[in-house]
Amino acid sequence: MFGLHYKLERKSIGLALAIIGIGSIGGLVEIAPLFTIDQTVEDAPGMRVYTPLELAGRNIYVREGCYACHSQMIRTLRDEVERYGPYSLAVESKYDHPMLWGSKRTGPDLARIGGKYSDQWHVAHFVNPREIVPPSVMPSYARLLRNPLRTDDLGRHLRAMRAVGVPYTDDMIANATADAIGQATPGGEAADGVSKRYGEATNVRVFDGLPGELTEMDALVAYLQIVGRLTDAAYKTAGK
Amino acid sequence: MAVEERDGHSGYLTTGHEWNGIKELNTPVPRLVYLTLAVTALFAVGYWILMPAFPLGSTFTKGLLGADDRTAVTAAVKQAQTDRARWTDLIAAKSYDDIQGDPRLMAQVRATGAVLFGDNCAACHQRDARGGNGFPNLTTQSWLWGGTPEAIAETIRVGVNAAHPNTRVSQMPAFGRDGVLKRDEMENVVAYVMSLSAPPAGKVSADRIAAGKAVFTANCAACHGPEGRGNLELGAPNLTDSHWIYGSDATALYAGVWGGLQNQMPSWEGRLSALDRKILVLYILDRRGP
Amino acid sequence: MVAQLTKSERQVALVILLALTIVGLIFAGAGKDDPIGVHGFLIMACAIAAIFAVISASAEPEPSPERLDTYYDDPSKIGIVLAMAWAAVGMLVGFWVALLLAFPDLTFDAGWASFGRLRPVHTSGVIFGFGGNALIATSFYVMQRTSRARLPDQLSPLFVLFGYNLFCLLAATGYLMGITQSKEYAEPEWYADIWLVIVWVTYLVLYLRTLARRQEPHIYVANWYYLAFVLVVAMLHIVNNLAVPVGLGSAKSYSLFSGVQDAMTQWWYGHNAVAFFLTAGFLGMMYYYLPKRAGRPLFSYRMSIISFWGITFLYMWAGSHHLHYTALPQWVQTLGMTFSVMLLVPSWSAAANALLTLNGAWHKVRDDATLRFMMVAAVFYGLTTFEGSFLAIRPVNALSHYTDWTVGHVHAGALGWVAMITFGAIYASVPWLWKRDAMYSARLVEVHFWFAVTGTIIYVISMWNSGIIQGLMWRTYTPEGTLAYSFVDSLIEMHPYYIARAIGGLFFLIGTLVGCYNIWMTVRGEALPAATEPAGDIPAPAIAARQPAE
Ligand code: HEC
Ligand code: HEC
Ligand code: HEC
Ligand code: HEM
Ligand code: HEM
Ligand SMILES: [Ca+2]
Ligand SMILES: [Ca+2]
Ligand SMILES: [Cu+2]
Repeated sequence: MFGLHYKLERKSIGLALAIIGIGSIGGLVEIAPLFTIDQTVEDAPGMRVYTPLELAGRNIYVREGCYACHSQMIRTLRDEVERYGPYSLAVESKYDHPMLWGSKRTGPDLARIGGKYSDQWHVAHFVNPREIVPPSVMPSYARLLRNPLRTDDLGRHLRAMRAVGVPYTDDMIANATADAIGQATPGGEAADGVSKRYGEATNVRVFDGLPGELTEMDALVAYLQIVGRLTDAAYKTAGK
Repeated sequence: MAVEERDGHSGYLTTGHEWNGIKELNTPVPRLVYLTLAVTALFAVGYWILMPAFPLGSTFTKGLLGADDRTAVTAAVKQAQTDRARWTDLIAAKSYDDIQGDPRLMAQVRATGAVLFGDNCAACHQRDARGGNGFPNLTTQSWLWGGTPEAIAETIRVGVNAAHPNTRVSQMPAFGRDGVLKRDEMENVVAYVMSLSAPPAGKVSADRIAAGKAVFTANCAACHGPEGRGNLELGAPNLTDSHWIYGSDATALYAGVWGGLQNQMPSWEGRLSALDRKILVLYILDRRGP
Repeated sequence: MVAQLTKSERQVALVILLALTIVGLIFAGAGKDDPIGVHGFLIMACAIAAIFAVISASAEPEPSPERLDTYYDDPSKIGIVLAMAWAAVGMLVGFWVALLLAFPDLTFDAGWASFGRLRPVHTSGVIFGFGGNALIATSFYVMQRTSRARLPDQLSPLFVLFGYNLFCLLAATGYLMGITQSKEYAEPEWYADIWLVIVWVTYLVLYLRTLARRQEPHIYVANWYYLAFVLVVAMLHIVNNLAVPVGLGSAKSYSLFSGVQDAMTQWWYGHNAVAFFLTAGFLGMMYYYLPKRAGRPLFSYRMSIISFWGITFLYMWAGSHHLHYTALPQWVQTLGMTFSVMLLVPSWSAAANALLTLNGAWHKVRDDATLRFMMVAAVFYGLTTFEGSFLAIRPVNALSHYTDWTVGHVHAGALGWVAMITFGAIYASVPWLWKRDAMYSARLVEVHFWFAVTGTIIYVISMWNSGIIQGLMWRTYTPEGTLAYSFVDSLIEMHPYYIARAIGGLFFLIGTLVGCYNIWMTVRGEALPAATEPAGDIPAPAIAARQPAE
């Protein structure tokens, strides 16, 4: 073996190829089958996609780096299931490009945050976390309430998401901007379009408490309220 | 190629090469390295045989133990429920009164309830359940929806202005924003409301309070009752006690009258089990002060 | 610096910079409503500044052919200066971020100043800015000397170095503006990712070209590691960053993979970024500087082979230990755990090889803080890899994952291993590179050493404590069989440890600043007369010209 190596270490290209060869095996064995083994991602008929407003909110979550403190992955451990709810399924992040499972819980897990608190609570908490939860170390995101949400390019976002495999229809792409506004404007005509395209159960509300204004806070709260609720597969699996 | 030489200090031969003054010894690999490699590899192979390990096209090796995290955690949670049954069954079966009369069960309620409350309710009602910032204090005798165990249980189950189909619904109209009352009328009624719980401060004239009382009777009594003692059916608070959700100063009260109030309490039916909710009711009642 | 370029290299440089200016212009135009527009201007500004530098030097004569008799060390010198600058910035931000977790209001009401945006500035700043520049600088230094060959040209090393720093700059400024993919250690967006591919391929080609010119029949083990670092990082980076951009005028992209496949790819990347960036690259550094400084032969050539191939093969399987008990299928977790356990053997072999090399030179370790930096680094390397293999065991990870224990492990590796070996290598290189007798002050190296060691110990111990407490509080049950603590209970317990960690970090930061000062003063000092320059520090052809062949 050492004799063989004595030869190999004299050839830079040979050495390079050996490194690539030896180094590729692990990744190939572990990643490729995740696309071929059906069991990897559970079936979830009826799972819906993010609405444009929720997607915009998710992008704010990404932009602000919330993953630095929050996981979105409840592990198959008794204490996590008892504290946070049913363990996370792979299918629940099927439309998550990228996934936001996280690696650090400075704050609590958020995989089941959707519907846990009211919109007002989220807004108040983002504006000043320590007023609502005194020991909190979370930063204030008051500025989200001041920033108008950019909606004109949401169609292009949906199209890019479709390019990576999320089943957005032409209708959804064409109406992305209108739907984003509609979801935060209950009662309006645009709101009906949201329910039509994304389902009756879609939350259509003034998420940020400021009717008539579409802020980044609307988007972020709309997103948080749907985290873990695109499908109820996890609850069904847990019930079994 | 240079000639091999022997290192004086260690006594080993060098490989005969030199790079910018660096030489290498041709020391044999210590036994220990191979040994530990063998041990760890053996451990790995054993683990692979027993546990799910390698992909096989569209499936994978399941392992002799047939272990699976998901079934394991489901079983662990079930087992834990069974283990707790010795006291949870009692809590589930007994009446509120009986449990409250049983110090041992109440000790368990306190231990369990504190964490349930901490992880689910404290975000709004605070860790000490005293509320604030628009969230009610749960340790007083003053209730929006009733202080009987059954009423509290129902509030927790369905929530207030929540997504539950049977949710409790409450709303205080926006008298100012909707143009129902004028500015001075609202200021008067605020003065009147303040006088209900505390003797009016020096500046406030009796006329003003009387005027406010008229406004109150016409606009507010429907919900808060003729004397302002509140209405448990509507979740309208008692305005004659010293407990305030949104603050007790004139500005806070005026803001409520002007813009209306409609806060939300989530429904916990889909999230917490009936047992957990019952423990929470008992926990809250236990924390209740005078 | 430009004076070192030949006329044709200056022309090529201008073409590249012009192309870069145009790219910047396109981003600035297409992205005027988007943060990418700011980056367009930034790229343009950098390129135009460089164009001015090249043009203003165009009057300078071509470098003399005699340069070929010496090693080309300008890029290493610049790289070391940049590494120290990034170290100062990255660790300062690390200290700030540490303070934020203890005193969250110690910040401004501005997006860029919030924890979630600053944290990646810290991680990328120290790993890529500090670590990456140190690796590039030392790899140029080491590969020339161990090959006895000068770098093949003058332009591509500068392109690699400055191109890489442009990437780091785009990364750090991007995070502040909210440009991120939220993929840990791969946060930069698509255009920065593409740029890094170009830079990195150039780096690889440069490495192979230098090796091809070598005058030594055998490739030294340091170069195996540097080569593995360059190759594998290229592979990881390309696969993990596959994404579809929203448009040319948008910084935003959506990663090609989603959910579980994305998670596995991300941690295959993330873990091996640790393995090949923070480990292999720095092992390359250690294998050159430690025996060199100790003046001892490397303990065992054979053990180098075992550790090198062990590390290269086994590490690549271990990424799934970041995903234990998650929605990733269990069979992958099994592989991640078992390979991590086996990985301990080559890791410790590498550490032992370094420490045993010091046999016969321990008196130098006692007297020379530079060598002591390297020795302590090897010890921390052993400690961190032991801890890593332990943390990778599923039941242990059940406790440690998501907690500060991971952060403690990270910094045992990052401060104790990565930073210390780098400081050792830099203190060794600076006098050699700038032709100085020694560092400006040996006392200050000593001071730096003790600040660094104290800081690391305080940091790591406080995070072990907080992490284990956190992990235990989350899973402690009352005798009644219900959870004993709420999440916020555990948060409150963290406060004193977060303060302690900030103090440890401050120690480490002070040490780094002392180092910056010492290096600065050394560079400003007087060069040795040419006659007393270190012997043998010239490429082979030059030696051949001076001495008749053997
Ligand atoms: C510095 C770390 C940090 C960052 C960054 C951070 N959080 Fe938090 N977060 C916390 C902590 C600590 C808590 C627990 C205390 C509290 O409720 O404030 C928390 C709580 C929360 C909660 C309530 C969870 C629950 O179940 O009670 C939500 C929702 C939340 N954060 C969302 C976010 C979002 C969205 C972002 C990014 C825009 C974010 N956080 C950024 C630390 C952070
Ligand atoms: C999102 C915030 C929020 C959370 C979380 C929350 N509550 Fe509430 N709760 C409220 C609000 C707001 C009210 C007052 C509703 C109203 O105005 O009628 C309320 C009212 C109540 C009441 C009725 C008080 C009365 O005077 O009748 C009870 C009891 C109660 N909450 C218990 C709980 C328990 C138990 C939990 C946890 C399982 C909980 N709450 C979690 C917001 C919250
Ligand atoms: C339609 C029913 C309704 C009417 C009419 C009404 N209220 Fe209310 N009021 C409520 C409800 C319900 C709440 C509790 C809201 C909550 O907790 O979110 C409330 C809360 C309040 C509070 C806050 C109490 C606290 O603890 O902070 C004040 C003050 C108040 N009302 C005053 C008035 C006055 C003055 C009027 C008349 C001008 C009035 N209300 C008319 C239903 C009503
Ligand atoms: C002055 C010294 C330093 C201080 C004060 C410091 C502080 C911090 C802090 C506060 C965090 C965030 C932890 C959390 O989210 O809870 C962090 C994360 C991190 N730091 Fe440092 N750091 C320092 C030096 C370094 C160095 C030199 C490196 C690398 C070479 C490094 C690499 C990292 C990495 C990789 C993470 C992410 C850890 C994870 O996600 O688990 N740090 N650091
Ligand atoms: C045998 C070698 C090693 C093994 C098996 C190993 C294993 C691990 C494990 C199990 C984790 C925790 C994953 C989690 O729970 O999220 C981890 C995290 C980490 N390790 Fe190591 N480790 C090793 C060596 C090192 C070294 C030398 C460094 C150098 C700095 C390092 C840097 C990191 C970093 C940065 C993380 C944090 C990743 C994150 O952001 O979550 N590791 N490692
Ligand atoms: Ca991490
Ligand atoms: Ca990237
Ligand atoms: Cu790892």
